[in-house]
Amino acid sequence: MSEDATGLDASPPPLNRMVIAVLAMVGLFVALYLMAHNVGLTGPIVCGVGDCGTVQSSVYAKVGPIPVSAIGVAGYLTLLCLAYLGVQPGNRGSPFIGAFLFSGSLGGVTFSAYLTYLEAFVIEAWCQYCVISAIVMLLIFLAALPEVPRFLRRVS
Amino acid sequence: MSRGEKKRGSRGKGGSDMTKFGVILGVVALIGAGWLFWSVRGSVLGTPATGPLLELDLEDQALYRQLAQGITSGDPTGTIGIIEFGDYQCPGCGGFALAVKPQIDLALVQTGRAYFQFFDFPLTNMHPHAFLAARAARCAGDQGLYWEYHQELFRNQSSWSGRQSAVGAFLGYAQGLGLDQDTFEGCVKSDKYADVVTANMSLGQEAGVSGTPTIFLNVKGQGLRPIMRNDFQSIEAAIESALEDLETAGN
Repeated sequence: MSEDATGLDASPPPLNRMVIAVLAMVGLFVALYLMAHNVGLTGPIVCGVGDCGTVQSSVYAKVGPIPVSAIGVAGYLTLLCLAYLGVQPGNRGSPFIGAFLFSGSLGGVTFSAYLTYLEAFVIEAWCQYCVISAIVMLLIFLAALPEVPRFLRRVS
Repeated sequence: MSRGEKKRGSRGKGGSDMTKFGVILGVVALIGAGWLFWSVRGSVLGTPATGPLLELDLEDQALYRQLAQGITSGDPTGTIGIIEFGDYQCPGCGGFALAVKPQIDLALVQTGRAYFQFFDFPLTNMHPHAFLAARAARCAGDQGLYWEYHQELFRNQSSWSGRQSAVGAFLGYAQGLGLDQDTFEGCVKSDKYADVVTANMSLGQEAGVSGTPTIFLNVKGQGLRPIMRNDFQSIEAAIESALEDLETAGN
């Protein structure tokens, strides 16, 4: 961590973490919208492209009693908090936050890929919000890749 | 260097980056929250069901029969019934409603020779407002003005068909007919009758309906017979023929 004479963190805020935070916030709202639909707050789901109704009422929209959208809300919220904390002075070089960000986004993108596979080959219907979420998750994962060399540098 | 200068120095570029970051995050949060709030609020006020229900389980035969009801004009226990599967946004159905149905009403229903029954068969893949129109007509039926509204929809078909949203037009016709606005609007902006219209569509599919209007003759004891042509003369001829068959069968 670079410091100036006063001991304050002089390193610039990591750009990739700022990007993750903004993306995670976008993903959070998409997941919240789907969750609002799953708990019955919104009426029939409005889909510009694709067939949201079919996907959201399929058995794959839930993991046991938990809607997939709730998992999404929790995941995006976690990533948002981690990324936000990770740009604060003092945390910018933290290997722990980096490790969690990377592993969290890896888990997220894998889960997203699985859901996308289900849409393409099992449910055979697309929900535009799920697709948007998958793209956001992929971008978050790409933005989290710089955490790997950062982590390795710290622990070596 | 004084302590103040050093502090300013260390916050230099990092500080303005953090500010930009904060602003962007804040803007995204505001837009996201606004969108979410608007989406949810719209439904709390009531979103009209504009398409068939995918989760409707029609395995229960009793429920199916209860939902797949048409609207009848005349005595449904009569010997001869004229059945139409129709779509409010289909021009052919409009032509039928404005040219043929009045003759049917006058010459057949009012004289007691036959009853008329309309089943909803909106071609939802082609006609975006047809499902809602079917529901709206039934909402008007709640207040006893089904047939008046039915005709009004067909009469104004070219006006509301091309619009982005037909809700405003449908509310307008209700007002024009003197329906209670609050009740009608509450009915339309909900999913009332979505199950009924969906069941009607399912019934039509079972009966082999693929286009609209499709006319059948329902002859008591003999079931449905399709009528190939939709003009009044053909329908009358089919009824004559059916009555002859009944007489022959009776002898």
